Amino acid sequence: MSNEKIVEIRKLSKTIGKKQIIKNLNLDLHKGEITGFLGPNGAGKTTTIRMMVGLMKPTQGDILIGGKSIRTDFEGSIEKVGVIVENPEMYKFMSGYKNLVHFARMHKGVTKARIDEVIQQVGMQNRIKEKVGSYSLGMRQRLGLAQALLNNPEFLILDEPTNGLDPAGIREFRMYLRKVARENDVAIFVSSHLLSEIELLCDRIAIIQNGELIDIKNVNEHQQSRYYIEAKPAEQAKQVLEEIGFTVHPHENGYLIDTEPEHIPGAIKLLTAAGVDLYAVQPHRTTLEDQFLEMTGGGEIAQAHTK
Amino acid sequence: MLKLIQNEWMKLWSKKATWIMASLLIIILLANAGITKWIESTSPAPEMAWQEMEEMNLMSAQDQLQNPDIGSAQQDYYEGQAAIAEYRLANDAEPFKVESLQQQMLDGHMMLSLVTLFTVIVGAGIVASEFSQGTIKMLLTRPVKRWKILTSKYITTMLFALLFAILTFISIALFSWIFFGVGDGAFLVWNGSEVVEGSYWAEALKLSALSLASTWMIGTFAFMLGTVFRSSSLAIGVSIFLMFVGVQLVFLLQRFEIVKYYLFTHTDLTQFYTGFMPIPDITMAMSLIVLTVYFLVFMVISYWTFSKRDVTA
Repeated sequence: MSNEKIVEIRKLSKTIGKKQIIKNLNLDLHKGEITGFLGPNGAGKTTTIRMMVGLMKPTQGDILIGGKSIRTDFEGSIEKVGVIVENPEMYKFMSGYKNLVHFARMHKGVTKARIDEVIQQVGMQNRIKEKVGSYSLGMRQRLGLAQALLNNPEFLILDEPTNGLDPAGIREFRMYLRKVARENDVAIFVSSHLLSEIELLCDRIAIIQNGELIDIKNVNEHQQSRYYIEAKPAEQAKQVLEEIGFTVHPHENGYLIDTEPEHIPGAIKLLTAAGVDLYAVQPHRTTLEDQFLEMTGGGEIAQAHTK
Repeated sequence: MLKLIQNEWMKLWSKKATWIMASLLIIILLANAGITKWIESTSPAPEMAWQEMEEMNLMSAQDQLQNPDIGSAQQDYYEGQAAIAEYRLANDAEPFKVESLQQQMLDGHMMLSLVTLFTVIVGAGIVASEFSQGTIKMLLTRPVKRWKILTSKYITTMLFALLFAILTFISIALFSWIFFGVGDGAFLVWNGSEVVEGSYWAEALKLSALSLASTWMIGTFAFMLGTVFRSSSLAIGVSIFLMFVGVQLVFLLQRFEIVKYYLFTHTDLTQFYTGFMPIPDITMAMSLIVLTVYFLVFMVISYWTFSKRDVTA
């Protein structure tokens, strides 16, 4: 993974009416890196993405893609970008192939050979001559991916790309994106509300709430090793653990302790020696979902869902 | 730009509706020729000889010339009509019958309102349908500036209108040749000092070209509405409504000065050559200027909204 910057979002703001939807957003994206874009509904994910691809105009700030400003050099900046915005809507009355020809004509230097190559890549050679209206959702997603790859993009933007795909389709899609990122050194920016999806796919996650970027973190960042211990009587177990020197946090029916694996056997021996009955001792990982809810406040999501 | 127009053309003809419109146009023209033929064959022999008709023409032209309210274009027209009628009577030069290839071609420009109708449908939908299908976001996220995309769509609409006009012209020629054949008679024109024989093909072409001004304006208007409101049905409805009512309004506004700046006073450019002018004191030059101004306004509104709009659909 090279660390070359391909996209720079600088002080991006968007005001619609009197409401500031995006507030002073700064973010860099690097080649070969898949960045997830998470946020509760209405946080400004789609607005940000639409500004990045030229569908909406920033009120303030700028987006540089490959060093070229989307405001002053739209054609230059978007040249090497591939886009899938939500469900890729195609011309249903034309064949998949004609759709690809249509979009290829809008880029410089996309040859017929390249179109065929992309069709191979997404595995659509058998049905490409059929009308898009007859395709299943999965097929349309693949065609959507094909059109985004036509111009050999250095930067792929995907807004909710796995919407409507079945689990096998999602898995295939994920593998494919990883491959593209690694082999072609493409930067990928994916927005999704599927947390598990983002966790599996991305190297890095940007979290947005109320139009502000609240956190950027690497997915495989070393986590503090934690263990969950469930024992009875609980009070006695707590006492023993504290005597050993662990910091003890109550969690569900037991306790969480921050410690490295090598201290666990000793702790178990001491607990048993003290006459405590052990029901469970297991490593505890906070999932992205827990972190996400912790950061954005669960209420926000609940609220969004009841709308 | 050529590739963009190619794209629009491909999309246009990939739609069934376009082929239906083309077939409909040909069927209507065929039916029109067929009905004319049928009426001719079932009706009794004409009550009047052509000489009587020409005498009536002569009288009505002279009547018109007495009218102090006619404009200079009308003056020229009726002088020509009177001279031609006199010439025909003096030299026994028969005019074309209605049921002849020649007269059908000369009247062919009236059929171009069909082309206007279809152009309105295409122009109204060419931008609006991208929004309603959701394909607009695929279209605008390409390294092509928005004004170029809009231009390609506008040119495509106008190419469509031109193609349909040519199709109309050829169909009328073909069907009237099949049904009526080339009739007797000569096409006469008044060149200002004498009556000479002219080419009816050239005259038919001239009138058709002038009629296209109305197709162009109403088509552009529909294109603007479709671009601004993103709804093709609204744009089609309003445009077709105006196409019929707009001309009637000329008569209502007749007494006011403002009528001279009203679009539909000027859309029919053939009025300078057919003598029928609701507002007599306008000139061709004035009409062209007014039409150009309206055209520029329609274009500015279309381009401005299309380039500035945030796409949220």
